[in-house]
Amino acid sequence: MEIRSTDQSDFRRVYNECYALLMKICYHIVYNIDIAQDLVQEAFERFYMKNMSFPSDEDAKYWLIRVSKNLALNHVRKNKREINMVEKVKQMPTSSSYVVDGVKELADKETIKEVRAAIEMLPDNLKMVITLKEYGDLDYKAIGKILGISESNVKVRVHRARKKLEELLTKEDGYVY
Amino acid sequence: MCIDDGLLSSYLDGELSEPYKSQVEEHLSYCTACQNRLEKLKKLDSIIKGVGPSDEELTQRQEQTLSILEKKCFSQKKLGFWRRKLEVSIPSMVTAAAGIIVVFIGSFALFGHSGSNTSDIMPSFSAQAGSENVHLVSTREQGLDAYSLEEIMLYLDSKGYNVDISIKGLKPIE
Repeated sequence: MEIRSTDQSDFRRVYNECYALLMKICYHIVYNIDIAQDLVQEAFERFYMKNMSFPSDEDAKYWLIRVSKNLALNHVRKNKREINMVEKVKQMPTSSSYVVDGVKELADKETIKEVRAAIEMLPDNLKMVITLKEYGDLDYKAIGKILGISESNVKVRVHRARKKLEELLTKEDGYVY
Repeated sequence: MCIDDGLLSSYLDGELSEPYKSQVEEHLSYCTACQNRLEKLKKLDSIIKGVGPSDEELTQRQEQTLSILEKKCFSQKKLGFWRRKLEVSIPSMVTAAAGIIVVFIGSFALFGHSGSNTSDIMPSFSAQAGSENVHLVSTREQGLDAYSLEEIMLYLDSKGYNVDISIKGLKPIE
């Protein structure tokens, strides 16, 4: 079954299948939902404009992930200065002593901040792998295909990233989960 | 021997292939230390995963973007002839430009042969150069001819020259 990016029904199907995933990946690179939305739109526009055909839905999905990931990375690179400025304003001194409590904790803004800070501290190669793993909900094989690395390399990187994140998140004010 | 974190990480992701997977499961069934470790990893994972935009927000934006995209991409087919984007590749543009130049030059080369044809096509600007059309811009004459012999003699005399005048080429009066 061949997929054409200019065919309306194909386009719509791929769109509905990939949108949430692409949004999550972009969001966790740029950390701004509006910008993520723009970037994903841009990725789909390119998808249409290129008038491409893919052997399967999966291939279209990988292509889209690759494109939107790169768009997001470029955005971050270009706007580094502005982003830093916004961050300075955003970062208010906060006391982080909170109760660990399942679902409520997940909604906690502090956790979001801490997780984000921890992920940002990871080296780039680990950061992208863990972003795709946790937010893209992809398996090792797919991540390897998207990033152009081997499956076992993905496995090692996911493990290393988790270990590092654990260290970072535990170290911060003795937070034990 | 307990399971190392790398294996647990893969197990958690459901990426462990068969002989190892059942071995890990068997070990987990009795080793509480490893069970705790797996629980910790799971929790870490859920914390990391839990961060991000909510599903309702995503679906709302999904519809929003889809309608923009469909308007942009798929309604374009109804555009009129003049509003359609014209796509021309560079080589074909170069060829067209070269063609126009050849025709342009060729037309001059062909019509250049006969003057009558040229004057038919091209408006003529050349005026006949005749005495009635030509006006001298300067009327002051500077040559020696402008002075009479007498004036010349007077001038030379005033400068203190001694001048002998002899006349040649005149036939004697008969």
